[in-house]
Amino acid sequence: MRHNRRFSMEQKKARWGWIFVAPSLVFFVVFSFYPIFNAIYMSFFKKNLLSLRPPEFVGWGNYRYLFHSKTFWQSVSNTAIFTMGTFIPLVVFSLMLAVFIISRTKFQKSLQMTLYSPAALSSVVAALIWLLIFDPRGLANQALNILMRTSGVNYHWLSSSSMLRLSTIIVYFWKYVGYFTVVFVAGIGGIPDYLHEAALIDGANSWQDFWHITFPLLKPTTLLVSVMVMLQCLKTFSTQYLFSTSGAPTRPIDVITLSIYNTAIKDHNIGRASAMSVLLFLVMLILTWLQLKIARTEDVTYN
Amino acid sequence: MNATELRTSLPGKLVNILIWLFLAVACVFVVTPLLFMFSASFMPAIDIMKLPYPWVSDHIHWQNYWNALRGPDGSFIFLRNTLNSLIVALAVTVTTVILSSLSGYGLAKFRFKGRNAVFMLIMATMMIPFETIMIPLYMVTMKMGLQDSYAGLILPFLTNAFGVFLMRQFLLTFPDEVLDAARIDGASEPRIFTHIVLPNSGPAIATLAILTFRSQWDNLLWPLLVVQSDEMKTIPLYITRFMAETHSDEGIMMAVAAMASLPMFILFFTMSKYFISTEGLHSTIKG
Amino acid sequence: MRRFSWLFTVGVVISLCLIASLSLGVGAAGTIELTYWTHTDDNRTEIEDRYIAEFTEMYPNVKIKRVVNEGSKMGDLVLTAFSAQNAPDIFNLPIEQQYAYVQHHRVAPVNYKAAGYKGADDLKSQYLDGTFDAVTMDGEIYGLPLELTNWCIYINKRIFRDAGLDPEKDYPKTWEEMADISDKIAIREGDIIVRRGFDFRYPYYLVSVLPMIEQLGGKLLSDDGKKAIVNDEAWLKVLEYVRDWGPHGRNLGSPTYTSPRKIWNKDNNDMAMCLSGFYQQGRLRIDNPEFFESNEWMVIPFPVFEKAVNNVACSYYGHYMMVNAQTSKEKQEMAWKFIAYMLDHPMEYLMKVNIMQPRKDLLESEEFKELPYMDIFMGDMEKAHIVFLHENGYQFERFIKEAVESVMLSEVPPKEALDTLRERIQEVIDAEL
Repeated sequence: MRHNRRFSMEQKKARWGWIFVAPSLVFFVVFSFYPIFNAIYMSFFKKNLLSLRPPEFVGWGNYRYLFHSKTFWQSVSNTAIFTMGTFIPLVVFSLMLAVFIISRTKFQKSLQMTLYSPAALSSVVAALIWLLIFDPRGLANQALNILMRTSGVNYHWLSSSSMLRLSTIIVYFWKYVGYFTVVFVAGIGGIPDYLHEAALIDGANSWQDFWHITFPLLKPTTLLVSVMVMLQCLKTFSTQYLFSTSGAPTRPIDVITLSIYNTAIKDHNIGRASAMSVLLFLVMLILTWLQLKIARTEDVTYN
Repeated sequence: MNATELRTSLPGKLVNILIWLFLAVACVFVVTPLLFMFSASFMPAIDIMKLPYPWVSDHIHWQNYWNALRGPDGSFIFLRNTLNSLIVALAVTVTTVILSSLSGYGLAKFRFKGRNAVFMLIMATMMIPFETIMIPLYMVTMKMGLQDSYAGLILPFLTNAFGVFLMRQFLLTFPDEVLDAARIDGASEPRIFTHIVLPNSGPAIATLAILTFRSQWDNLLWPLLVVQSDEMKTIPLYITRFMAETHSDEGIMMAVAAMASLPMFILFFTMSKYFISTEGLHSTIKG
Repeated sequence: MRRFSWLFTVGVVISLCLIASLSLGVGAAGTIELTYWTHTDDNRTEIEDRYIAEFTEMYPNVKIKRVVNEGSKMGDLVLTAFSAQNAPDIFNLPIEQQYAYVQHHRVAPVNYKAAGYKGADDLKSQYLDGTFDAVTMDGEIYGLPLELTNWCIYINKRIFRDAGLDPEKDYPKTWEEMADISDKIAIREGDIIVRRGFDFRYPYYLVSVLPMIEQLGGKLLSDDGKKAIVNDEAWLKVLEYVRDWGPHGRNLGSPTYTSPRKIWNKDNNDMAMCLSGFYQQGRLRIDNPEFFESNEWMVIPFPVFEKAVNNVACSYYGHYMMVNAQTSKEKQEMAWKFIAYMLDHPMEYLMKVNIMQPRKDLLESEEFKELPYMDIFMGDMEKAHIVFLHENGYQFERFIKEAVESVMLSEVPPKEALDTLRERIQEVIDAEL
């Protein structure tokens, strides 16, 4: 009898679970799942966006094409360069800044506010500002000329391949370093004080305290930040799009998303664009899964 | 932290100075482009491209702001566009917060068949770049007859996987005892949600709200596709329209940029206590 | 706690209201609603809004919604709309882009009767020869021209004199002279150019760079359309020319500097020449009336290479008014009526918007012939042909852009860039066959 009642109580709770999830789920089905399945489906077809002919089934044709396409691999490598070039400095610097800010007795908040402020700008505005800064006559050349003690050297911020890649990384880094610093500061603040005190009593210095207490306990924050940064970097679009439509050469910054956009909208090849999306999706899925798995095997808890 | 101890010793002092130096350099790097935007917005275009950059012009060029506000065709549509951006961003933020906390709560605190599958499916949508689903999404929205309307701008963004994830992670740490106690007192589930769960999720909701508002304020690609009339345009579209005008100069562009950023700066400074704190986020991150 | 539940309720109400406010667009029976998408141009908006008002007064059952967007985004928007079967009834795009719409039967042939013509021949006889070649398929005409434009070179005489040149005599006639003169005019601070002579209009390779290759005997595709890149010599010579133009050569300009025609108007001693159409004069009149009125600028023809084998000028391009093939016959008929009504004001388009419809009555009018430098533009028009048209033309242009950029900015040898270009274009052609 008692067992039965408990069972029905569980059932009732389960029903409420569904009720709470249902409203979101409806929107997810219409505005996320359907378009995603549509993209997966289309990746097996050859279809010109303008053509009125029905799509032609090509099986793995689009995927086979991509594996042999130099342009595709070029955009894969562009994305990889951008992601690694942004991901590592962002995580390292925002962690460093957070630790330094926490170690200050004054200006903790104003430092965070200052660093966070670029995140308030929209990417169109950010691109506008940086395009002027990277103009051959702009601030970037002037600043670097002063730093390098040269005069009148054009560092080709928007024209040479490597500088252009660096420029997109700088814009992204600039926009998000403060944001992730704030996340890290919150993470560090969440570590109970008694742990630091215990370390101090054991005679640890600041460095040891950071290395043995703060750093390991920050793992969940670091994990969250790195997954977010990585996914964002892999999905990066607007900076590259706005730069390449404002005179910068496309090839060095032709990241996968930009390539997807151009393949679909400019070349009208929706099948091939969908196949690229599916591949990008799989890569993101695998990388996230890997990160979560690595994190889980070395789980650390406060208690 | 034993920062006090650090500051007393000589190498400690040196480290201290180095840390301040590092922070100062970081701040200069971050702030310079913003200062550049404001400084250039008060200059005639001729001065902006001077070598070296003058930072302050001989006379303040207020006309830039007037021209930016007036718009390329003198219609003052900027105000309407700002209003549109506010309406869209607010509506999306409010509904996202509600829907995400509902489903986050459902996923965190109720065991039901298929819960993990639902969670995984929702998480997977985080990995889809928007450019990928743009065209099918556009077709769905057009079939519903939503072109050039607020609904068309808002509906596709009402739920976002990150919001669900954030709320779920936060609510996982919510003490079960409190919920059970309320149940024993005879409170209905919706009542528990509105009277216990929501009021106690302040920091997480504030974080989610700011993130959502920000990303909507920034949204360019979707409004570009859905909006047709000038009256329905949002701020990023207003900016790109200005960029496209061949006879608009850099000073006016920077004035547009500064004006477009202002609401975000205001929001950010007034709301900063919610997300810039030493405790706000941490509970959403563990687990 | 109260506050939160209150907020919650407000939130739900707001979202419900928004969902309910879907634009249902229920029109009264018998009315025809036409949507017309076009690119931003404030002068044109002014006169076309008036035409719409006049037209809807004549046909009270017609409603016309005119939608404008930035020229650079129009292509993407129209394409997405067509692919989602949600396209406008009337639209115009650059002909390079519209060509694919004709090829894929997405647009309807001109309804001659509705547009006020007896038939195709009657229509053709009223326009410049060849006007409709680009929009003719299987004997049917698919669009009416809103404008036909070609580019010549605008010169700031003051800057020429400042550099010790006599603009009337020393203006560049060949591309070789163009580079030398630009070098003379250029002022640099270190490597950074603060005053340029001439610089290209970078994204528009099919209109302005392909003719340079054709001058030397090169072609993008063979005549049968099966082979990419004809005459490597010509291509290599032009690629070498842009390499020498760029920052790793004589450092005369590059795509990362501000677009020339934008700063040329300002007469700010930083841009001596720019490539632009007749419409530039309209922009100049608004941007810088003082400079416009002064006698300090002039227009010269598109240069040719010293060893040119073909005397080709910069290609001309057009915008055509087209009608969506998937709207009802009734709407199509009304759409053509409306288009013909708008286009029947060629003089006003010319005077107020500075765009030229290739109509014989316009071209032969005295007012037209007296317009400043119109003789130069028309002289070049005679030596030019319409911009390269191909279903994948837009894609080819992107490939050419990448080839030029890699030679000019990334120091890729011209030979290598050309081979990559050939490979990529060939691949697109082969995939079609």
